[in-house]
Amino acid sequence: MADAEREAERTIAMSFLIRYISDFLVGTGNALFFLRDVLFCVVRGRIRWAEVLKQIYEQGVQSVVIIALASFASGAVLALQGYVMLNRFGAKEYVAQLVALSLVRELSPVFGSFIFSGKAGARLAAELGTMNVNDQMLATRTLGVDPVEFLVVPRMVACFLVLPGLIVFSELVGIFGGYFIGIYDAHIPSATYIHQTLRSIGYVDFFSGFFKTLFFGLLIGWVCCYQGFYTRGGSLGVGQYTTKAVAFSYILIVISNMILTKLILTFWG
Amino acid sequence: MIKVRGLSKSFGDHVVLKDVNVEIKDGEILAILGESGAGKSVFLQHLIGLFRPDQGTVEIDGRDVTHLSERSWLELRKNMGYLFQQGALYDFMTVFENVAFPLQEHTSLQAREIKVKVDEILEMVGLQEAARKYPAELSGGMKKRAALARAVVLGSKIIFCDEPTSGLDPMRSRDISDLIQRTSRRLKCTTVITSHDVPNSFRIADRLVVFREGVIIAVGTQQELLASSDQFIKEFIK
Ligand SMILES: Nc1ncnc2c1ncn2[C@@H]1O[C@H](COP(=O)(O)OP(=O)(O)O)[C@@H](O)[C@H]1O
Ligand SMILES: [Mg+2]
Repeated sequence: MADAEREAERTIAMSFLIRYISDFLVGTGNALFFLRDVLFCVVRGRIRWAEVLKQIYEQGVQSVVIIALASFASGAVLALQGYVMLNRFGAKEYVAQLVALSLVRELSPVFGSFIFSGKAGARLAAELGTMNVNDQMLATRTLGVDPVEFLVVPRMVACFLVLPGLIVFSELVGIFGGYFIGIYDAHIPSATYIHQTLRSIGYVDFFSGFFKTLFFGLLIGWVCCYQGFYTRGGSLGVGQYTTKAVAFSYILIVISNMILTKLILTFWG
Repeated sequence: MIKVRGLSKSFGDHVVLKDVNVEIKDGEILAILGESGAGKSVFLQHLIGLFRPDQGTVEIDGRDVTHLSERSWLELRKNMGYLFQQGALYDFMTVFENVAFPLQEHTSLQAREIKVKVDEILEMVGLQEAARKYPAELSGGMKKRAALARAVVLGSKIIFCDEPTSGLDPMRSRDISDLIQRTSRRLKCTTVITSHDVPNSFRIADRLVVFREGVIIAVGTQQELLASSDQFIKEFIK
């Protein structure tokens, strides 16, 4: 009897696992087809630049304040903590380098992308999802217009273009946050701080972060637009798919960041 | 002329349409009646390529469109209009912009000519005053009228209307039904509406089709349906 129960439990667990894996594979496949359709429009030059500009404005404006705040605070905290540690070795001037390098190489690209996907990405998914459940997506097709071209491509292109700009801005604000602490709290001379900052950031440092940002921009646009484009199930569905969009973006950013960092360090130093 | 032959459609193992055969004549108004869930919307969406049949064929003006690619359908749909149940207007555009959208997409008209044309259509559906409003500011009936304007602005030869009267009070239902009839006659287009609103369908339709659980159980004029001895039809149109 107990054996039979255990057997039954195992079968159920197996079928769940199989179901889960097959759903995952089908989802990934669909997402890739979706990306193909988008890229197809882009290479054919079917990009509506007026829409792209509107999207850049909306996505940028929406995220810029919170990114500035978070970056300033991160830079300041880095400087506060870095100062405590470096001061033990009598090397407090190096605080400027610590702040600048951490921000430019790692923190701004990753945390900026998190914030961006939570604000702009969630908005993309919710907007497209709402259009979907209100039949606006189908209506677009009945009007003889391709919804991917009209509604998705501008959003994804804007994502790709606006995120790098936001991240560079975030790096500047973060460095300013560190500078603020360095000057007023650690009493490092302003000229020294600026000099140390400029000296520490090389091309490689900047572009290794920047390259990741380009990738994250594509990733966020892709994941969030995909979830929005395939939203089903009314207003409940919009909530579910939007949450999924943001959660997947986070996970994919974390994982791809690890891989990209390893690749960049291996080939570029 | 739209010819549908042997159309069947299932979602999973749920059979929604079963061997549907209909011919829709040029310039007529055909009403598809049936309880909700009978498969009316799914059928209508087959006629504009939003669903592909599992079996059967759809022929429009002698051309078999059953297996057209989405690209070809996009082209074909410029001559068709589809009125969704809730209107499906773009909520980020005003009424004016919604109606102007197909003209901007598919014609080379100048902004001034577009304005003239849109104003004319909005006047026809009685929405001149609401031109600058966003869909969220409109009542259900106004949304449907705006959506109808958007659907016919390109001079479509075929209009599909999914439940044009649902969710409206009796007065508004009459208004929108009459508006569809007037529009259809004026533009001389073939019109297919789905509805469970029997009185209004009788008022405006030339012929009617009754769906029950994905099967056509009656086709004919109002008189023919009224003369039917089928128990379900008697109940339904009472
Ligand atoms: N995309 C879909 N996927 C699965 N089932 C669907 C889909 N669209 C409609 N159905 C099902 O088809 C049946 C008929 O739906 P519909 O044509 O909308 O009915 P109505 O006659 O009220 O318009 C319903 O049972 C509905 O659940
Ligand atoms: Mg319906």
